[in-house]
Amino acid sequence: MSITIQNLNKQFGNFTALNNINLEVNSGELFALLGPSGCGKTSLLRIIGGLDVQNSGKILFHGKDVEQRDARERNVGFVFQHYALFRHMTVFENVAFGLRVKPKKERHNETEIKRRVHELLQLVQLDWLADRYPAQLSGGQRQRIALARALAVEPQILLLDEPFGALDTKVRKELRRWLRRLHDELHVTSVFVTHDQEEALEVADRIVVMNKGNIEQVGSPDDVYASPASPFVYQFIGNVNLFHSRTHALWTQQQSDAVAYVRPHDIDISLIPQQSSLPVAVKQVRAIGSVVRLEAAIGQDSEIVEIELSRERFNITPVAVGDQVFIRPRQIKLFEA
Amino acid sequence: MSLPQQLINNRKITTHESKVVTLVLITVALSYLVLFLGIPLFAVFYEALGKGWSLYWAALQDPDAWSAIELTLIAAAIAVPANLVFGVAAAWAIAKFEFRGKSVLITLIDLPFAVSPVVSGLIYVLLFGAQGWFGPWLQEHDLKLIFAVPGIVLVTIFVTFPFIARELIPLMQAQGKDEEEAAVSLGASGWQTFWRVTVPNIKWGLLYGVILCNARAMGEFGAVSVVSGHIRGMTNTIPLHVEILYNEYNFVAAFSVASLLALLALVTLLAKSIVEFKAKSNGDRLPHGETE
Repeated sequence: MSITIQNLNKQFGNFTALNNINLEVNSGELFALLGPSGCGKTSLLRIIGGLDVQNSGKILFHGKDVEQRDARERNVGFVFQHYALFRHMTVFENVAFGLRVKPKKERHNETEIKRRVHELLQLVQLDWLADRYPAQLSGGQRQRIALARALAVEPQILLLDEPFGALDTKVRKELRRWLRRLHDELHVTSVFVTHDQEEALEVADRIVVMNKGNIEQVGSPDDVYASPASPFVYQFIGNVNLFHSRTHALWTQQQSDAVAYVRPHDIDISLIPQQSSLPVAVKQVRAIGSVVRLEAAIGQDSEIVEIELSRERFNITPVAVGDQVFIRPRQIKLFEA
Repeated sequence: MSLPQQLINNRKITTHESKVVTLVLITVALSYLVLFLGIPLFAVFYEALGKGWSLYWAALQDPDAWSAIELTLIAAAIAVPANLVFGVAAAWAIAKFEFRGKSVLITLIDLPFAVSPVVSGLIYVLLFGAQGWFGPWLQEHDLKLIFAVPGIVLVTIFVTFPFIARELIPLMQAQGKDEEEAAVSLGASGWQTFWRVTVPNIKWGLLYGVILCNARAMGEFGAVSVVSGHIRGMTNTIPLHVEILYNEYNFVAAFSVASLLALLALVTLLAKSIVEFKAKSNGDRLPHGETE
């Protein structure tokens, strides 16, 4: 089921949460809404799910306007950042909830409900927790139960609001891989909100980057990372060094009032000056896992450049704090200042 | 952590005052309790039973006493359910929805706490009394509110208005509306969401509010006194009946009837403790941080 968003606006008082959003989520896609907090991504998700109402604009599911359908009738599975499990119900009853509240004529009998709940619990690999209460589970387990609960009503769209936001790094990484595998199995159109660029890049088929209620860029993880459409996307996704044309005309090709964006790993270092290279003084050397991160100062002033080298590359040209080296960008992206 | 373990940890000594200081402080605190709570409570029962059980029973079996008890129960039986429905509705609206005038509503709910009960009673006399705003209209239709049972019920509702709502609002605000939203997105109707998700989450807080509301409804004196007219056997509640008996120097009877209210207080406290204990062992939260 595809989702089409047309000219969507949302205001909270004087604050514009969503500014004329147009977006298309393809059927069966795992789609990420990425942006810093307050960029409107959660508002957008809640409006798609019918938990909030837009001021203007349209949401279409599979080409049909859903304005007349409230959250109950949209057949959307919603997964909340803080799980929102029913604390007074067992895991089994939590998952069964959506099946039990169906109108009488659609409701399954008890055996069928039991069978389905256990099937879902097996899908999230937590069948053995059926009789526990949410308070007795770990965060990762709770979120998997929340997902099973959302899937119980066979939603055509799955919406996840920062699903891993409240978990620690290790569990987060496990869960997002698991979510990706699960999505490949089920192929239900899924939209998830995250402020973690790594999460979006790793899990999503496509990403929309949002900022202050506006869409900055839509594209595959590769597109967004390799060719950011705006300075904001450049800075939000990955680290970046800025070189202003006034001080570094050499790199901005004399274009007036431009800023060159260079990723730390797109900078080469050498011990001797080369064409259009900049002399810098190494201020800090840090080995972090498989990479070595350098901080260097340009000339006399305090402008700091971040450089990232692979360990092999670093071993070819080992430098130490205080050394003078020459840097040269391999790749530059220019934006007007 | 098991419960006994918790108790031990809670008793961990964190101060190092001398024995004398500790002793003095404990003595002062205990004396205060005994002086202001223990002795009066004891006095009620002592005076009531001082002349023997037979006089005690006789005082309670007096028809006027019975009618006072009856009226008190009627007032509470109407006021508590009314405020239960209103309190839950108000707390649900305030905690789970955003709307204009919300802060005005919260302030209004607190009004009966802020106003002296006697003034509350007077307001009703001014509104519904013979000389009041609606007095003539009521007389035309042969309706009597003031100096009659309906007036007593009305002021009781007014005075106990905030108890349940006040108990529930912070609790429901702390619980947020995530669970309700989850329920709705899973296809539950508003009614199903309320009964299956909201009510189970607030049941202990609700019970707690009902107990406090009931205690106040039965014990209210000031407001009821103003609208009642003190007609024996007709518009006297227990507290008013106690006052009348006392003013007539009928001390045994006064204290006998008063002992009923004291018993009610003790039962209320017991029920309150049980509810608190249950809520705690269920891991639920009551307002005022009782469990945390």
